[in-house]
Amino acid sequence: MNKILLIIRREYLSRVRKKSFILMTLLTPLIIAGFYGIIIYFSIQGASGTFNKIAVVNENKSLTEKLVSSKNASYTYVGQSLAEMKSNMGKSGYDYVLYLPDFNLGHPDGIQLFGTKQASLSLNSKVTDALENAIRTQKLKESGIAQEDLDKLQSSVNIDNKTINETGNEEDSSAGAITIIGSASGILMFMFILLYGIQVMRGVIEEKTSRIIEVMISSVKPFQLMMGKIIGIALVGLTQFILWIVLTTAISTVAVKIFSDKKDLKQVTVSNTQVKPTKVAADVAEAGPIAYVQKSLASLDLTKIVLVFLFFFIGGYLFYSALYAAIGSAVDSETETQQFIMPVMMPLFVGYALSLSVITNDPYGQLAFWLSMIPFTSPIAMMVRLPYGVPDWQLALSMALLIVGFIGTVWVASRIYRVGILMYGKKTSFREMIKWFTYKN
Amino acid sequence: MLRVNNIVKQYASHLALDDVSLEVEQGKIFGLLGPNGAGKTSLIRIITQITAPDSGEVIFNGQRLNANHIAQIGYLPEERGLYKKMEIGEQVLYLARLKGLTTAEATKRIRYWFEKLEMESWWHKKVEDLSKGMQQKVQFVATILHEPELIILDEPFSGFDPVNADIIKNEILELNKKGATFIFSTHRMESVEELCDNIALIHRSKKILDGSVLDIKEKYRNNTYWVEFDGDYNPELTADIFEVLQKDTLRGKTILKVRLMAGKTANQLLSALLPIVNIHRLDEVIPTMNDIFIDQVKQEN
Repeated sequence: MNKILLIIRREYLSRVRKKSFILMTLLTPLIIAGFYGIIIYFSIQGASGTFNKIAVVNENKSLTEKLVSSKNASYTYVGQSLAEMKSNMGKSGYDYVLYLPDFNLGHPDGIQLFGTKQASLSLNSKVTDALENAIRTQKLKESGIAQEDLDKLQSSVNIDNKTINETGNEEDSSAGAITIIGSASGILMFMFILLYGIQVMRGVIEEKTSRIIEVMISSVKPFQLMMGKIIGIALVGLTQFILWIVLTTAISTVAVKIFSDKKDLKQVTVSNTQVKPTKVAADVAEAGPIAYVQKSLASLDLTKIVLVFLFFFIGGYLFYSALYAAIGSAVDSETETQQFIMPVMMPLFVGYALSLSVITNDPYGQLAFWLSMIPFTSPIAMMVRLPYGVPDWQLALSMALLIVGFIGTVWVASRIYRVGILMYGKKTSFREMIKWFTYKN
Repeated sequence: MLRVNNIVKQYASHLALDDVSLEVEQGKIFGLLGPNGAGKTSLIRIITQITAPDSGEVIFNGQRLNANHIAQIGYLPEERGLYKKMEIGEQVLYLARLKGLTTAEATKRIRYWFEKLEMESWWHKKVEDLSKGMQQKVQFVATILHEPELIILDEPFSGFDPVNADIIKNEILELNKKGATFIFSTHRMESVEELCDNIALIHRSKKILDGSVLDIKEKYRNNTYWVEFDGDYNPELTADIFEVLQKDTLRGKTILKVRLMAGKTANQLLSALLPIVNIHRLDEVIPTMNDIFIDQVKQEN
């Protein structure tokens, strides 16, 4: 037991002390916080957007209905001719000039939008919407519908997502946040298992190619060496994960505080909006997008997600890293690993791909259930499913299956490993590995 | 101290060891000789408990070999290896601790050995920064640091320059004097025969010869001598004392390889030649282990 601790210690320290590890651990939270910042920035931008002042030159006699300003664009009807407006485009204070020729309401064409800059796609579609609305209103009025009736037809819809939990209480839920959290933890799980699994394989190959393996095996049992390596590297992974969570939380908290203190940010949004905002816009503008994101996050049980993540990381990692250790033991160099890595990686990739496509669409379906039960895919699938809500018995069953799974792979791998590490200069095949497995000790 | 009884080891397609038995005496240097692929490494791996035999047993100090003996055996494999990215001092410490030494004791001994072999400045160096010979030295220290009773060296002098080979040879002899038992395994038989007390020859998975070096050589000497002289000489005069096997002339001197006739001695050879020629040299041709090995293999075939 003492020996396995020594091995764990060496495997852990030799990796944690590496410059690349320290750099990765410190930089990643900064990058994550950066992404978080960018998302918030753009959600504010999306709410306020760029504001365009558009001059309307209307030569159309039949269209009397005015274009209605929205929060991204205002329409001002000007008396000047198109030529005049075009000639002092830069000085007039307008960003764009919308030219409405005398078209037939049935076939509106010849409409032009002039500007010093190319109008963006979204502006183009907004102007189109505004114009279509104006024409529709005009037509409706012409067919004899009163203004009051038209107002009654207008309605603003905002769906408030609630899920009913087992005790019958309502909970706020946000499909968007759930999908993001689910996918993010799935991707993270996939990356962790892959990265650290491959580290195990590299470590085994390094011991083989540097030929220290024989010295080691004359001091410790192959199983101790393999498990020491696997556990040591698992601890490196956990260290990194925990540091990431701590650092990301710290940086994000600071960043959010700085953002929230800028109160004028919200006012800018409101004051620029010249029309009365709809209910959704009002909500967003009033509470601010940060509060909205935070509210979505608060509706999820993050502690539970983190704890389950840790469990499935350790379980999934043990499950796969044992297989990687077996592969490492069977080859002489990393270039030879290809043929063995494929079958081991496939289930992980398939689990990853299916989890992100199928489960996010149908988190309670048959496929989602089975993916989150089979140990080959359960670490990723379960993480993606978790934010949508997974019954406790399924979570427990999946965990139990994973434990059985990794005991199985560790057992199989250790039998291949003990023979493989002493084999040099032979091309190994799967048949040979099966033969090694059946060797008695 | 070590007895190997009827070991058989079968690998997938070939028999690595076929009913091999031998005995290593306490405090002796034992040579395990044989060409590449004869089964030496397979046997050593069994003694170091890296692999287990299919049948047969190994007795260490009267006990069947078990995990408790690991700390009493030091093994320097033929394929030398160390962790490339690890500092030398830390690495030797790690290997010593795996053999059961405490940190304090291991550090003390590493300092002693590093000083003795002039390696003090290597402590914080990485293996990849050392030459091959330097790495060998590090590994030698790692092998003997836990003061094992039995030290097994596979190709002990390969990779060393003559100066360092001599240093290591002296350390081995010193350790041997203090009571350590050695097993040398090598296919370069001439490199260890002067050090060995006893040897075993392994060929094609079988032990074909073993015993003390003196006995074996005694058994294989065949009254052959080198004689070097100048002067004219007629072989017929001495035909009853020796027969000439080979005759060369070098810088005016005649060199003969001769075999004494049964019952004749070197003295009789000398007294027959002395009146006729000027003698410069008389050597007994002592068969090398290599000669004996080749002779044995021929007999086997």
